[in-house]
Amino acid sequence: MAGHSWKTGHFWKTGHSRANGMRAAALAFACLSPFSASATEDPDLAPLFAASAPRVPFTLEAARSPDGALVLRWMVEPGNYLYRDSLGASLDGRAVPLERPVGEAKDDPNFGVVQVFHRDVEASAGALPRTGELKVAYQGCSEKGICFPPQARLVDLSTLDTRVAPPGRISATADISARSGPAPATMEPAALSTEGAVDDGEGIAALFAGSLGWTLLAFLGFGLLLALTPCVFPMIPILAGMLTRSSETLTRRRSLALTGAYVLAMAGAYGLVGAVAGGSGANLQAALQTPLALGVTATIFVLLALSMFGLFDLALPAGLSARLAGRGGSGSLGGAALLGFGSALIVGPCVTPPLAGAMLYAATTGDVVTGAGALFMLGLGMGLPLMLVGLFGPSVLPRGGAWLERAKQAFGTVFLAVAILLAGRLLPAPASLAMFGVLLLGAAAFFGGFDRLTASSGPAARLARGGGMAAALYGATLIVGAAGGAQDPLRPLAFEAVADARRPAAQAAATVTSSTSFDRAVAAAADGAADSAVPNRPILVDFTADWCTVCKANARVMAAPELRARLAAVPQVTADVTDYNATTRALMERFRVVGPPALFLVDAQGREIPGSRIVGPVTVDAILRRLDAAGA
Amino acid sequence: MQRRHFLTLAGLLAVGMGLAGSPLLAQGVDVDAILRDPAAPTAGNPKGDVTVVAFLDYNCPYCKKSAPDLERAVREDGRIRLVYKDWPILTEASVYGAQMALAAKYQGGYDKVHHALMAIPGRGVSEEQMLKAIQGSGIDLARLDADLQAHAKDIGTLLKRNLAQAESIGLQGTPTYLIGPFRTSTLDYAGFKEAFAEARRRQAAE
Repeated sequence: MAGHSWKTGHFWKTGHSRANGMRAAALAFACLSPFSASATEDPDLAPLFAASAPRVPFTLEAARSPDGALVLRWMVEPGNYLYRDSLGASLDGRAVPLERPVGEAKDDPNFGVVQVFHRDVEASAGALPRTGELKVAYQGCSEKGICFPPQARLVDLSTLDTRVAPPGRISATADISARSGPAPATMEPAALSTEGAVDDGEGIAALFAGSLGWTLLAFLGFGLLLALTPCVFPMIPILAGMLTRSSETLTRRRSLALTGAYVLAMAGAYGLVGAVAGGSGANLQAALQTPLALGVTATIFVLLALSMFGLFDLALPAGLSARLAGRGGSGSLGGAALLGFGSALIVGPCVTPPLAGAMLYAATTGDVVTGAGALFMLGLGMGLPLMLVGLFGPSVLPRGGAWLERAKQAFGTVFLAVAILLAGRLLPAPASLAMFGVLLLGAAAFFGGFDRLTASSGPAARLARGGGMAAALYGATLIVGAAGGAQDPLRPLAFEAVADARRPAAQAAATVTSSTSFDRAVAAAADGAADSAVPNRPILVDFTADWCTVCKANARVMAAPELRARLAAVPQVTADVTDYNATTRALMERFRVVGPPALFLVDAQGREIPGSRIVGPVTVDAILRRLDAAGA
Repeated sequence: MQRRHFLTLAGLLAVGMGLAGSPLLAQGVDVDAILRDPAAPTAGNPKGDVTVVAFLDYNCPYCKKSAPDLERAVREDGRIRLVYKDWPILTEASVYGAQMALAAKYQGGYDKVHHALMAIPGRGVSEEQMLKAIQGSGIDLARLDADLQAHAKDIGTLLKRNLAQAESIGLQGTPTYLIGPFRTSTLDYAGFKEAFAEARRRQAAE
């Protein structure tokens, strides 16, 4: 939108007959108010009464930018504001996506924070035909405490004239008997009847339908379910490693306190994600997947690992490592909390489905507190099973001597693996594969894989040698695979698959990172499908990011043989939101995607097909069902 | 705060209701129909000396913000007659909420439903959320259902009439409160108190 300037003399066509009713009414009032004379003296009050100059709070203009895009501009009279989410456009009944700028956050009365525009605002409707009428809708309020009815204007696409649209859909005349739903006494509770309550945001939003206590309880339970997913797995060794570090002085009480601090901080991090999402609509976890945050966290894990190997326990006794994992003293609880907080925000970014539900709830009610509380309970539920680690850790973990050193080295290796996982979100897949290979080789050396065995060697040493050799072999294989461009650590030598992936498929998935490139890709996909047997073929849209663990699992599901053939015929658009910036955010907001993974079908015009969305982990069955339903 | 009250009050617009020879009457606006529509739900003191007409929408954040203040001011004053005009202009669901509230009137439960709906925060409240609130309001749902069907036409007519009345006096949006001879939008508790007093002063002066 910044690509062209309004100052260069675009010819604006302003609506001639906007808000006829309001103006007429205002004129009628001008002559009957005994108060108007004194009242208008205070400019602050002027917009409140119709008796002053007839001011329309919002005026719409349309222009074409040099690149041919239709740009809409709303002029906002001082003291009024437009709701960002109310700005919409449609052509022949089809929604036209608008690229709206980010609004100002406003604490609406009784509502929480919403995005509004107090000043003039422009939004691009993209390239549109030169004929027909674009219907534009908007709604706003005055700071004086009055909300105006939604407005609709028709923009003539050839002349760019605007006129008041005929009465909109909302009318008090709506017929009660014509209501589609059954009568209230028999109506089912909202949204609970939809199938697959967990696989989309709407289903999770239903968890908010009950009382506050019930909502919190439901999210606690939901968190417990999530505890058995890859989101939480990395946290088990991290926690165990942390406990091992202070193992010499570890009492059960101390262990539980440390674990409790870790889990509470983790839940707090989720609560924070919920609060930020409810407040500003931003996905904090996605926003934190920056090279800087990942780099810092990976470095912390490397430092922790080095200290586990005993490298700088002596050199930096009061340094970063002691602070983070601690060994008694006041700093260690804080360190555990910090580790829990970081783990939740950066290591395991898997909270998209519940977050989507919580945001949907916050967006409709403005109740940020409940949303944040629910996500806190979710985090608590995810963390509760970790308390078992704290409970049994002291009994299982070695107390001292050579075994403790071994355990520390093992967890140091795990910390290095976590660091590589984090770095892997930034690096190409073969690079992290190679690093894992090196790590395994190193670990093999450390744990006796290359030690010389003698006739008197005990079974433990022999076992270590065998395990070490296996690890070394696997590590070496990974390095070889990486050199060949392999991406999958489980199939490092499956070069066929690599070649497969490189070969352009019949229906290549276009990768997009902005709303405009999305439109182009959909148009191209629709064009391509126009010749095929199914002219109005739905297009599969897949929101993904490099850092998104669940997305990777989803990609494997979609590569399953049952789906592969089916999906080969479906045009696909992949929205890569690895970079969390204004353009990707706009694209996510356009489809109300809170974060990856999100999968849904759109029609040839780029409109989402209702009921086709899957947020979070997918199954073959779920995808097939949606493809069937959409006729793809 | 004091200054704001004063300004807000100074900003009240006299709409000339009840004034002899009112320009509104001259324009054919039936003021009495607005103040004394027998179908419109009322609250407060039926014999009050000042009539307050509240044009409200169940998806209007400012209505929800000012509703408790208005009610408290009306209750404490004791001599205010409050007329509710359901004026659903903001969302589709607003119409649904208004229909439900008006249907509840037939079992004397307008207040219950009105409070339940006004207590849901936000501007994007869906029909489902409204229904949940109504279910929790203590109203007889079967009866509500029956009344909704039986009086569908009356309710629709009343809503249309409210719409026409609001248009006839040129209301811009919700909330709008007609307080005696004044018109205003969102006020706080003290603002309503002041407005009531000012309305009485002007009525006495006539």
